Amino acid sequence: MNIPHIISFLQGTIYYIGAFGLIFIGLLIMLLKSNLIKMIIGLNILDTGVNLLLISVGYISKGTAPVFSNPALENQTMVDPVPQALVLTAIVIGVSVLALALSLAIRLYHHYGVLDLREIREQRW
Amino acid sequence: MVNPVLLIAVPLGLTFAVPLFGLISKKIIKFFPIAAFLFNLIISLLLIPTALESPVIVKIGGFPPPFCINLVAGPVGVLFSTIIALAGFLVAIYSLVYIKEGPQEKYHILYLLLLTGATGVVMTGDIFNLFVFFEILCISSYALVAYMGDRSGIESAVKYLIQGALGSSLLLIGIGLLYGLFGSLNMADLANQIQSTSSNFVFIPLFLIVTGLGVEAAIFPLNAWLPDAHSSAPSSISAILSGIAIEVGLYAVVRIIFTVFGITNFYIFFVFLGVLTLLIGEMSAFSQNNIKRMLAYSSIGQIGFIVFAIAIATSDAVTGGLFQMISHTLSKGLLFLAAGYMIIRSGSMEISSLEGMGKRMPLTSLAFTIGAFSLVGLPPFVGFPSKLLIIKSALAKEEILFTLLIGIALLATVIEGTYFFRVIQVIYFKEEKEGSNRQDAPAAALIPMFLFMILIIVIGIYPKIVTGILNSAASEFLNKMDYIRSVLL
Repeated sequence: MNIPHIISFLQGTIYYIGAFGLIFIGLLIMLLKSNLIKMIIGLNILDTGVNLLLISVGYISKGTAPVFSNPALENQTMVDPVPQALVLTAIVIGVSVLALALSLAIRLYHHYGVLDLREIREQRW
Repeated sequence: MVNPVLLIAVPLGLTFAVPLFGLISKKIIKFFPIAAFLFNLIISLLLIPTALESPVIVKIGGFPPPFCINLVAGPVGVLFSTIIALAGFLVAIYSLVYIKEGPQEKYHILYLLLLTGATGVVMTGDIFNLFVFFEILCISSYALVAYMGDRSGIESAVKYLIQGALGSSLLLIGIGLLYGLFGSLNMADLANQIQSTSSNFVFIPLFLIVTGLGVEAAIFPLNAWLPDAHSSAPSSISAILSGIAIEVGLYAVVRIIFTVFGITNFYIFFVFLGVLTLLIGEMSAFSQNNIKRMLAYSSIGQIGFIVFAIAIATSDAVTGGLFQMISHTLSKGLLFLAAGYMIIRSGSMEISSLEGMGKRMPLTSLAFTIGAFSLVGLPPFVGFPSKLLIIKSALAKEEILFTLLIGIALLATVIEGTYFFRVIQVIYFKEEKEGSNRQDAPAAALIPMFLFMILIIVIGIYPKIVTGILNSAASEFLNKMDYIRSVLL
């Protein structure tokens, strides 16, 4: 494959590669780390990846907003507005989960003095 | 005609009125959840006759269906919203006296939000809207598990939050991929497009969405959070989490698999998963010494049984599965409410500390016993007709596999019976300790328990009251073409 091929391939998929990259980084942090703060950071990276994925689903390179103010604009150059509305909602939800998780982390630290979930095992199966 | 939007709008409006009225008087805000769910109960009951004829479709914003968020008040939606409103109403009465500590105003706000989210999940016809309502349900239940602020509550809430948030993210990835594939978020429109596509790529969003929802529905192996969360929450919240939250999660899984994807060759996988969940839940419950953990594991078992019944996917079996959901909500709600006051009076969650409860708290013990008998499936309580229907429908398949699986399920029921009878034996046939507290639960806690008991016995003796709506609900799940047509045309 020559260079222009790679560039044109990347132009179409770079957002998906970035989005899934972030999702996998977030998942790995959440599964491998046992420190609660690191897990919350992983959750946040995962959330960012999901938001990027949603945005890139509707994104068109060099597109414009779908407002019919200029008759010269065509449908093909308009960016899909629905995923952007979804991402706004998803960001708000992500922020509230993050806030709740951090406040729970503070309370957890008050009770146990550690944030390592491996050392907090009062509840068992 | 009543508009189903009110089922979501009124509790949500009252939620945000709670802090305002809290400035005037701290006493009246306690009655907001009761008012909201009494209203929802009346509206849902009024909607039942209309919904049985044809589903009520609400187009929010006035655009025709694939383009806007719509609510679908079909038999399934109305059935679930009735159950949610009923359990919410009764548990709200119980909370009047049960919730004495902590930030009460926040308790009532979160309680209203939790059940509003649950109602929204069962009513909506839009998959992203389902995600939003699901998050409302989840976030308020994370916070309510940590309500007491004690060591075990915070620890369980953290575990629940991490697992739940991971599940929600998977769900959102699945929804994003579905939108990328089909350019639509309307469940009926998606179902219509998925059945005409030949692409195998739809299995990836299916897997992500079912895994994400399965965390909240507590299907094995995604249920590690459940016993901690259900046993550390206040008992009124445990009743709601066990009776409503996991069943709403299960509703979402069934809706996605049956209606949106309609992948019939997957059902057999869920039959096995259901039986596995049932066995693991009941066997773990058997070895517990803590009464609330025992009830929580028993919920896992019941969810497994419901998954098994629904995945058989015949008309009778789905009816039986939905009937089992009603019976589980009523029985497990009653058990948690009764256990809540037993724990307060004895000061411990150990089963051994319940000795002599039959003399010390006769009415609460009676409630616990009836709940246990109903859950195990003894006549004349509601658990009997529902379990009988599932067993009959599994045998009607006339396949050796299903006969074998129903044998395993019956074995699990025997285990369930054993540990419940062990508790009942401790309650009635052990001598009480000297100087123990002989006070029964207060009236405001006994009234909802009695209403639950009356419902358990009445529906147990006359199952015909609910079979009409259950049959229509089962056929709504099984005939996805009817659902698509009623929404899109």
